[in-house]
Amino acid sequence: MDADQLFAVSGPVAMTGWAVLAASPLAPRAAQIAAGIAIPAILSLAYTVLILVAWSEADGGFDSLANVMTLFDTPMVALAGWVHYLAFDLFVGAWVVRRARRDGVAHILVLPCLLLTFLFGPAGLLLFLAIGAARSLLAPRPIEA
Amino acid sequence: MTDAALQPSRRLPVRRITLHRLFGAEPVLAGTGVVIGLSLVVTAGAMALDTRAFQGETIWSKPIKFQVALAIYTLTLAFFARWLPRGMTARRDYRLFAGIVVVAVLAETAWIGGAAMAGTASHFNVGTPFKDALYATMGAFAVLLTTASLVYGIAIGRNTACGLDPAMRLAIALGLVLTFVLTIPVAGYMASAPGHLVGTPELGARVPILGWSREVGDLRVAHFLATHALHALPAAGLIAVATTRGRTASGLVWVAAVAFTAATAFAFLQALAGRPLFPLP
Repeated sequence: MDADQLFAVSGPVAMTGWAVLAASPLAPRAAQIAAGIAIPAILSLAYTVLILVAWSEADGGFDSLANVMTLFDTPMVALAGWVHYLAFDLFVGAWVVRRARRDGVAHILVLPCLLLTFLFGPAGLLLFLAIGAARSLLAPRPIEA
Repeated sequence: MTDAALQPSRRLPVRRITLHRLFGAEPVLAGTGVVIGLSLVVTAGAMALDTRAFQGETIWSKPIKFQVALAIYTLTLAFFARWLPRGMTARRDYRLFAGIVVVAVLAETAWIGGAAMAGTASHFNVGTPFKDALYATMGAFAVLLTTASLVYGIAIGRNTACGLDPAMRLAIALGLVLTFVLTIPVAGYMASAPGHLVGTPELGARVPILGWSREVGDLRVAHFLATHALHALPAAGLIAVATTRGRTASGLVWVAAVAFTAATAFAFLQALAGRPLFPLP
């Protein structure tokens, strides 16, 4: 399989995880196993294999922005970077769902956080943390962290 | 040896801030206000990094003004919610209404922030069917979120069991109702006008922070006054109950309401005539 084919497969795999998280109140434990462990593990495995295969052929490095950009000129490395996003964003999404469930945050507030995490990763995490901060600030008594 | 004093305390000695006493009567509106308030950190960061300008100001100044305004609005309602009739906030129809208001507030914030992100205008941005529809929808949302002050004003005004001094209750109710009654015509007229200015400024001289023109008429002055009736009249009410009592206090509140309405009308007419409220010397 070449990089384009792998890219085409990676999207639906991650999407499945996000759909599971969106519907997670129906089966919270199964959702965590699928979207919090199994799919991130599959994506992490793909990432690790891609790095093992492609790292040596890539130019660039981590020491400057220009070098990081050069790294991504190699398609397999760029694909690895993309799969890294998919894996970690989904993992964060599953954490958000878990945490919201523990703290009793309504799922309707979790959904925009998930959408934002899916599209813009850290922005969704930030929204969820802001909701948590607002809940904590407005709680009758301080919430144990 | 079991010396309790040597055991590490499980609780932090610092008393953590809780806004519950101020806004806890309406957690949904209060939470919305706090989240919008926190999101100011994001837009302030964008303003610091973004060099794009719109109509002579940083492109992020408008989203920031709306965030501040909507956070103050929702937190003010949450503060007044304690004087709503007992059990009202738990009712199904009320909760549905509050949910719709929150959606309207968030949609407005996202729309204005999104327009800044895209480097385009939010209000007055028409010309294609999509833009026209978006502007009209956001106008409807703006009316919807303003109805919350009307609902609160009427409910608190009728709630003789709220425990407030009658003059103070009147002041809060009048302020909330006037916010709706004055904002709708002023903002409605402005929304249908070509823009918020009446006239063409040459120098770009503005009132600091608020950004009102000091050269030509600016309809935003009247909008500002109208929308802050829910702060101005309760403030007048505080003065009234502190200085007089009974019917005299209520009378003072009515005088303040008439004066505030007149001031808003004056600011509106002044802008319509193309004159700035704070002209250059």
